Amino acid sequence: MSPVIEVDSLRVNLGRREILKGISCRLGESGAGKAIGLLGPNGAGKSTLIQTLLGFHKPSAGRARILGFDCHAQAREVKARIGYMPENDSFIGNMTAVAFLRLMAEISGLPRAAALEKAHEVLFHVGLGESRYRQIGTYSLGMKQMAKLAQAIVHGPELVILDEPTNGLDPAARQRMLQLIKEMKEQHGMNVLLCSHLLTDVELVCDEVVILKEGSIVHQADLEAERKSNRRFVQLDVAGDDRGLAAALQEIGAEGVSEAPGEWRIVLPASVEIGSLWRLAARERLQVRKLTHRKDTLEEIFLKAVGHIRQTPGGAPAAEVPAHGRL
Amino acid sequence: MAVYRRGYQRYEGGLTSHLERLMVMPRFSWARMVEQKFVLILLVVSMFWPLLCATFVYLANHSELWQGFDTGFKKFLAINGKFFSVFMKVQSGYALILASVAGPGLIAPDLSNNALPLYFSRPLTRGDYILSRMIVLLGLLSLVTIVPGMLLFGMQAGIAGGDWFWNNWYLGAAIFFGFALYIVTVSLVAMTCSAYVKWRVVAGALVLAFFFLLAGASEMVNSVFRVEWASVFNVGYAMNTVWAGMLDLAIPDEKPGVLECAVFIGALGAGLLALLARKLRAVEVVK
Repeated sequence: MSPVIEVDSLRVNLGRREILKGISCRLGESGAGKAIGLLGPNGAGKSTLIQTLLGFHKPSAGRARILGFDCHAQAREVKARIGYMPENDSFIGNMTAVAFLRLMAEISGLPRAAALEKAHEVLFHVGLGESRYRQIGTYSLGMKQMAKLAQAIVHGPELVILDEPTNGLDPAARQRMLQLIKEMKEQHGMNVLLCSHLLTDVELVCDEVVILKEGSIVHQADLEAERKSNRRFVQLDVAGDDRGLAAALQEIGAEGVSEAPGEWRIVLPASVEIGSLWRLAARERLQVRKLTHRKDTLEEIFLKAVGHIRQTPGGAPAAEVPAHGRL
Repeated sequence: MAVYRRGYQRYEGGLTSHLERLMVMPRFSWARMVEQKFVLILLVVSMFWPLLCATFVYLANHSELWQGFDTGFKKFLAINGKFFSVFMKVQSGYALILASVAGPGLIAPDLSNNALPLYFSRPLTRGDYILSRMIVLLGLLSLVTIVPGMLLFGMQAGIAGGDWFWNNWYLGAAIFFGFALYIVTVSLVAMTCSAYVKWRVVAGALVLAFFFLLAGASEMVNSVFRVEWASVFNVGYAMNTVWAGMLDLAIPDEKPGVLECAVFIGALGAGLLALLARKLRAVEVVK
């Protein structure tokens, strides 16, 4: 299957600054309905990558393709197939939600009657059915986020680009937003590119993740495969002589790395119970100060990729992670 | 099934043509524009002068009513280039006021609400956006310029007969192209002011100020340096000179001619378009 997003040695300059430094990757599968997470610290180039995919910036070298179309040379074909939810407030304040969505749908190419029908349909879908005749300017922050999502999917795009969709949402609204994104890919077969700084959001929704740092791809991971491996991450803090702990962990089938004296990150396969760690610590005459079960594998991956930790247990050291996206 | 029960389904039907998409924004804008009472009032007021001119045309073509009057008065009643020149000058004033009222509401709200990324992430280029916004103003302004002008010309041709039409067809062309040039220029000024000033009232005032300030500045240069060429920078003068050329009227020798004025208007239009394109971007790039 062809990739949804294909980036090849892409370089983008804004003024004299080089923001994207020759990144390459192939993301998603056309028609498969997958979600791709785009992560990175502030200034990593996430927004620039999204804006380049949308045709807002011209690459200085390389190319970016969406669904087989060049983002710059065939911008019209690309834009006909994508929906975009920007991070910041973006709407026409003194328009009702129905009129706004109808306008957006018609600009995307829907005939008048279909645009009106879809505007109503999608507003009910995102939970704004009862307030669809209110002016968007009067909406709360959460409602505006939902209206932005609605305009991104009103025309039924093949790829939806979401830039920080859960920004400013309360926990219930955040859950609703994430549920909608899941439904978009699972029930409606849309591909989703999700840019977020909330790792839990990305982990809950995405099948793949790309991590950018200083304009380069520092890691690309298949979260679906990670989930299937059913590994558990554990943080263990001990007091005492822990020099033999790494070897002892290997004996029970677990792997661990020491980040600091007495601080261990351990990955447990599904077959190894947490109780075996207590027995191991007792055998090694170590005092357990802290034993935390970590569910978020993505945080581990992210921290390693951006250089905040040296190595993930069971994975390659950070220095060995292929850079520039050639994975 | 009711929409609220049906649930969301992706749209998979046919898509409209690019031209139809281009006309979507003007359609929505016109609908919102006629909701503005001031625009409607201006439109109604701007019809008085054409109605007066139509009455004049009717009376001028009924010579039996003026049999007792002298030739000087009868000459005054002649429907010629001078008559249409006066008509165009008055109507262009209404068009300018209308543009200053309706123009700022077109682009400024999109910029203040950051709506451009939404437009430009759809199959709509910057050129398409400018064109579709311009269509709104051109349509509105043509209602007070080209449409009444051509109706007036048609009325005169209809009453006066085929001979008059064949001898004066260039007057019709002058009304059409002269007004077209004018409303394109005024639209560009209004849109550029709207793009650079987010407050509608200030943007509207700036549209009017643009014409008056240029006129004042050109007169000042003329007076200080004791020259006449600076009149070319007075948009009103430049436009009137081009119209006079089209309507076959006399132009003072010492002042800039039709060619100079046409070149200035062309350069002004190109400059405004460049300024507009520079401002209308999906994202602001801090270099």
